[in-house]
Amino acid sequence: MVKNISYQEALANYKAVAERPLPEVNYEGLLEKYHPDYFKDACVQLKVGANKGDICHVQLAEMLQADARIDEADLAGAQVIETDILIIGGGGAGCAAALTAAEAGARVLIATKLRLGDSNTIMAEGGVQVSIEKEDTPQQHYDDTIRSAHRPVDKKLVAEMVMSAPDVIRWLIQQGMQFDMDEYGDLLTRKAGGTTAPRVAYFRDYTGLEMMRVLKEAVRSSEIDVLDYVPTVELLSDEDGHCTGAVLSSLHDNRYKLVKAKSVILATGGIGRLHLNGFPTSNHFGATGDGLVLAYRLGALLRDLDSFQYHPSGLAYPQHLSGTLITEGVRSAGAYLLNARGERFVDELLPRDKVSAAIMRECAEGRGVDAGNGIKGIWIDTPGLELNHPGIFEARFPKLIKLGKKCGTDPRKQPLLIYPTLHYQNGGVIIDEHGQTNIQGLYCVGEVSGGIHGRNRLMGNSLLEIISFGRRAGIHAAKYSPRKPFRKITIEHLSRLRRELTLAGMPMDKQGPILFPAYAKFETDSDYSGLHKNSKE
Amino acid sequence: MDKNLNQVLLHENSRVGADYTRWKNGWGGQGLKNALDHPADIISMIKDAGLLGLGGSGFPTYIKWQAIADQTNTEKYLICNGNEDEPGTFKDRVLLEETPFQVIEGATIAALACGINNIVFYINPHLETCHEVMESALAKWLASDIYKDALQQGLNLKYTIVASSGHYIAGEETAAIEAVEGKFPFPRGKEPRPTTSGVHGCPTLINNIETLCNVPHILRKGVQWYRDLGIGEANGTKLYSLSGDVLSPGVYELPMGTTLTELIFNYGQGMLVGKQLKAVFTGGPSNTILTEKDLDVHLDFKSVAERRSALGTGAMIVVSLGTGIVKRVAQYVDFFAEESCGQCPACKTGTYYMSQLLGEIDTGEGSKADLDNLVDLCRILPGGGRCHLLDGAVKVVDSSLYHFLDEYEEALSHDFN
Repeated sequence: MVKNISYQEALANYKAVAERPLPEVNYEGLLEKYHPDYFKDACVQLKVGANKGDICHVQLAEMLQADARIDEADLAGAQVIETDILIIGGGGAGCAAALTAAEAGARVLIATKLRLGDSNTIMAEGGVQVSIEKEDTPQQHYDDTIRSAHRPVDKKLVAEMVMSAPDVIRWLIQQGMQFDMDEYGDLLTRKAGGTTAPRVAYFRDYTGLEMMRVLKEAVRSSEIDVLDYVPTVELLSDEDGHCTGAVLSSLHDNRYKLVKAKSVILATGGIGRLHLNGFPTSNHFGATGDGLVLAYRLGALLRDLDSFQYHPSGLAYPQHLSGTLITEGVRSAGAYLLNARGERFVDELLPRDKVSAAIMRECAEGRGVDAGNGIKGIWIDTPGLELNHPGIFEARFPKLIKLGKKCGTDPRKQPLLIYPTLHYQNGGVIIDEHGQTNIQGLYCVGEVSGGIHGRNRLMGNSLLEIISFGRRAGIHAAKYSPRKPFRKITIEHLSRLRRELTLAGMPMDKQGPILFPAYAKFETDSDYSGLHKNSKE
Repeated sequence: MDKNLNQVLLHENSRVGADYTRWKNGWGGQGLKNALDHPADIISMIKDAGLLGLGGSGFPTYIKWQAIADQTNTEKYLICNGNEDEPGTFKDRVLLEETPFQVIEGATIAALACGINNIVFYINPHLETCHEVMESALAKWLASDIYKDALQQGLNLKYTIVASSGHYIAGEETAAIEAVEGKFPFPRGKEPRPTTSGVHGCPTLINNIETLCNVPHILRKGVQWYRDLGIGEANGTKLYSLSGDVLSPGVYELPMGTTLTELIFNYGQGMLVGKQLKAVFTGGPSNTILTEKDLDVHLDFKSVAERRSALGTGAMIVVSLGTGIVKRVAQYVDFFAEESCGQCPACKTGTYYMSQLLGEIDTGEGSKADLDNLVDLCRILPGGGRCHLLDGAVKVVDSSLYHFLDEYEEALSHDFN
């Protein structure tokens, strides 16, 4: 085990300096050796389901190949609710889909695991990519996205996304969202890692929170029905394999509800709370990959299941805040990353996977900071940034100053210790440009879907994606759903799953989706007895 | 390899798809050749073999054939019934998709025996692959040497493929005739029988696809061989469509009279993990029930009937403990209520009323009076419709009441006030 440099010694090595030239860095073999996606034993082959034979992260594979939580007998006497469109997930993608679908005249029901707006959307700090600057074009946005993906992507989806970006921003502003602007009222932009032009529109360092505030208000003041505290435990299907609704498990009364819907839009987000490879996560509490499991059981095809984004700048110390995100905006604004010797070791504006791998290399080779209790990391040079741009934190990163206070420090005076944090699921359910999956009646939008980001997502492309595809799916579902008849609601597909598991000789002791991380001790700190049941492993 | 499994109809020599060469190199054409050599003997062979209608009726095939052969009309029709739409039945689909030449040869021999000159393959439009495969196979058949030989020996046939309307009711014999004539498939009255006046008033033979598939083999291998295939008094083989809570559902061709235990636990590999057998719904044209105590039943028409049930199409839908019988029955009756063509008042209102009552009882809102009404309906409705749809709906309710009356009673609402 390589010994890193102690926190105190490293702090003594550090000095705030305005200019630090980048030394020569060797990037060869960096990803292969240090990025967790490449770890030996991180992936296995799937043995059952539509992606049988494909490579998948071992922890995700365990969930995709787990038994279901329910049986036919559990559904006896359950209440049945009817709606045109059921949207599962109350984050940015779900709300955008709901608003556009309702506007188009469909009856819409949003079912959320916790509360409307509890999501990773609110965690997104950096901003939204949109090609609006004079020196920029959508083509560049497209090229940057594809180049940084490090794996073939669905080019059609990327093209649709970048072309819709200006309209997405216009729509958000119409909904009431604020963006930072210059004195002429033009949107301010900043440059994201791995891009060729300043393209990220933002609001302070809480763009996602502002976005969610507006969307949530819009949903609450619309005709859209919202059911809170109802995690989805299963989708419903008919004999033709169409998705026809979902089984919700109410945390209020510990009972199941059946929703009969003509279309179902999954907007359940990502998987961070599975803590893949033991990493801390920047993700919201509900990010347990439920959508992938639900869709996979119905036969939906998934892609890029071996690829996850580790955001370079997750707070490493103090421990109770570990994993908390420090926006890439800080690096975009010019903050350096420094090892325990006070040296730069990477071009901070490279794509995220490379920056993360470089940080891990520093710590693996003894140039990291050791804060005790197994906590390690490197510095993000916030005082240096303040020195270069006095007042920048007050104006643009107020949330970071607040975070500093929680850590008992001032980022303007002392650098923060960071380490990569599990941030984003790059792959997901395969969709077309309307968010439709290969299962009739099932749409997927946002992080649960795949195809746009390849192996590496650019900053600002996720907030863009959720609104762009959320709206597209909402419009498409609203156009086709109301005229369709209701179809049968069954859980026949679970028999198929159990059959496949048995014939493949797989264990069936684990049940999924997991709904909440195992450390969610709801029985002691909540009135909802149902949470206890739902958090069982 | 299990020697009892897939011996004839689903043997690899039969499952050649639309590949004519494989059919010819296997056992294709031999049945027709023997039939052409001795056309007068065909019907007596079918009679002696004991071939029964495998679409659900179990009616001796030769009786229908003889009735057609006795007619002197110049125009006669054969409808090969592939409308298959009952819950849990999926055998004809496999035969049409994988053994199209077996179907065509069987139909050709039937036509030869009865003096029929128009053969109609009547196939459910939802079975798109079946249509594609049959079209391709038929084209190859018409260009084949087997067929050309038959032409030289004086056979004069016109083959057509007709998509049924896709309604369940369209599988009923007289409804099929209406549909072939291009009309909505309303079943006709009982008289005249299709054997005297069917399509365009001509004598019309209607046989299920599986029944016809057996014909070339009886002609090829002889009567005794066919009789020996069955177990006990039963003859030949049967395609069982196994579905529900078993590990390996699917279509299994087994000796007629194979036991339910063997089908479920040997071929179906037993129950799904953690499930225990509760009942088996035998499928089509109605769904009657077998329970655990019937596991030893031999699955042939006679033996199953002795258990107050019906073999039907050979569909076996296995349900496990934890599955509500009332709910299942309500689903089946809903199916019948939806599929009723509405011609006969007893059927139109009867299936609807039963479906309402079952819905109420299943959701815990039914009263004792509702259950009494349901029992009464089972007594007064049968025979009230032109076709078997109403009787089928009643049969499933009646059968479930017989085996699971306690479940109905438990589901009744308990008004304590």
